[in-house]
Amino acid sequence: MKATVMLVDDSRVARMMARAAVERLVPSAVIIECGTGEAALAAATATPPDFVLMDVNMPGLGGIATARQLRQRYPAAVVSLLTANIQDPVREQAEEVGVGFIAKPLREQDLRAFLGLGAGAP
Amino acid sequence: MNDILGELERDAVTEILNVAIGRAGASLSSLIDDEVSLSIPRVEFLTPSLVAARLDQATGRRDSVAVRQHFKSAFAGDILLIFPEEHCLGLVRSMLRDTVPLESLTELEQEALLEIGNIILNACLGSLANQLDLTIESSLPAYIRGSGPRILEAGAASGELIMFLEVSFAMASKGITGFLAFVMDIASARQFAEAVAAYVKRALAG
Repeated sequence: MKATVMLVDDSRVARMMARAAVERLVPSAVIIECGTGEAALAAATATPPDFVLMDVNMPGLGGIATARQLRQRYPAAVVSLLTANIQDPVREQAEEVGVGFIAKPLREQDLRAFLGLGAGAP
Repeated sequence: MNDILGELERDAVTEILNVAIGRAGASLSSLIDDEVSLSIPRVEFLTPSLVAARLDQATGRRDSVAVRQHFKSAFAGDILLIFPEEHCLGLVRSMLRDTVPLESLTELEQEALLEIGNIILNACLGSLANQLDLTIESSLPAYIRGSGPRILEAGAASGELIMFLEVSFAMASKGITGFLAFVMDIASARQFAEAVAAYVKRALAG
């Protein structure tokens, strides 16, 4: 699997943890880290992502608005929010935008499902 | 000051916070891959200086590190995740496991604690919002290091009573302890109790 996985989070540590989790499951993945929604949109123009994990509460363009734009520009990409904000309205917004919802902390089973991997070894 | 909330209101507030804190504890457990024991939440109405003294007492009068978020809904206040300073590096190491070399841990400590706070505090606030059928807005987390008064300085105006909810948690196998605290002024505490009472009424009506 040679997939491009974009990780969007204003927390460097959150990106590091997500990167480590993706690399454990898909060592060949090309990982793009972005600290803001604006940076994600710019990076996606250069390298359209196959998968996007998006934080919600970020300075500047928030995660929901960024996910909405990515969803429109790259309809084939698998996009999910990855957020500590577990409130029902955030889940509802994810549904309305047409992206997934994963609660932090990222668990391996959720990441497997997001990446379309089975329950067994990668 | 126990008459600010009636016995039933206090019980309902404690119970609903218990569920929210349970959600926060589960997030912490998943984050560090260890069992987290939680104390029974204690709700008290105290002056800010007494709250600070209580915190200093709980941390052995040593400096603590806290992640604080301001929240706003029908009620407003601050929620804090507090760790004794000497436990922070162990906590960060537990969270990052073997993904970061030991020499880089100190450099990452503040950012890692902010992310821990982000996850734990939002788990708690999110559970609270979902139970009460409210939307709670929260600020980005802020990092504070210092003694009790420094950590609690953004609470209510001096002299005004505040609702202080304290729960302690422990990760026995890693020797790490910490506290979660809610600080609300009396007006907010009353609004909060009303929201809880409405929730209880809805739940009982089925």
